[in-house]
Amino acid sequence: MTIKVGDEIPELVKHPTTRQLVQYAGAQGDFYEIHYDQAFAQSVGLPGVILHGLLKAGFLGQLVTDWLGDRGTLKSFEVSYRGIDQPGRPYTCRGRVTKVDGDQVELEVWGEDSTGNRTTVGTATLAMKG
Amino acid sequence: MTTTASIVDRLRARIGKDGPSTEATVEAGHLKRFVEAIGDHNPRWASEAPPTFLVALASASAHLEEAEEYGKGWLNGGNRFEYFEPVKVGDRITATGRVADVYEKTGSSGSLLFIIFETDYVNQDGRSVARLRGTMIRR
Repeated sequence: MTIKVGDEIPELVKHPTTRQLVQYAGAQGDFYEIHYDQAFAQSVGLPGVILHGLLKAGFLGQLVTDWLGDRGTLKSFEVSYRGIDQPGRPYTCRGRVTKVDGDQVELEVWGEDSTGNRTTVGTATLAMKG
Repeated sequence: MTTTASIVDRLRARIGKDGPSTEATVEAGHLKRFVEAIGDHNPRWASEAPPTFLVALASASAHLEEAEEYGKGWLNGGNRFEYFEPVKVGDRITATGRVADVYEKTGSSGSLLFIIFETDYVNQDGRSVARLRGTMIRR
């Protein structure tokens, strides 16, 4: 299959729960209370507990590696967190090919909240197998 | 009382200086818990680290606790990973972090402190496997 600019990556929909945030906190070793303690989260001005940025990065990483398979290697992966996301709401990961230069492919990736707002945006650079 | 300016100055004095290195082995059980938490069931991760796993192996950044006198909470601004070599189960990874930049910005909702950090990950063969650059924000 030839990869070309504009190709869309099949979307990945996640349904994060507070339980999953606790699971992720343990697995990453990030115990910042805004991810599992409702009262603490509110005390620092948040509406409630929020997803770890790096969990959202993990979702987007999965989007990329699911699509890439064994066709190539991930060379760089960058994400910016633009907005907060709360558990109990679907989180949709999407992406598309923005550049193809020989065996180098660049992707634009993003995560959307349930209203379609892009709360995480990023890029990935891939080296495809010849 | 510690002033905001002195916190910024103290952190700025750290720019470019390596923090203490930490070493950790990539364990299959840890990888499994990490990908289960993400909900990524790709069998490939039984033996190989997924793209963001290195943050779970060693504290991502040095000196961040020193910034906690500033503002009341943390925000993660972003992360950039560069990959040089695959990371596999059994690899012994040494992580060395440093503050790359520190600056303040004043916006409509008050002052923010930006801390840009870098972490280099090197394997047991002395080969650089990845570099992480991140932006942590105090507000």
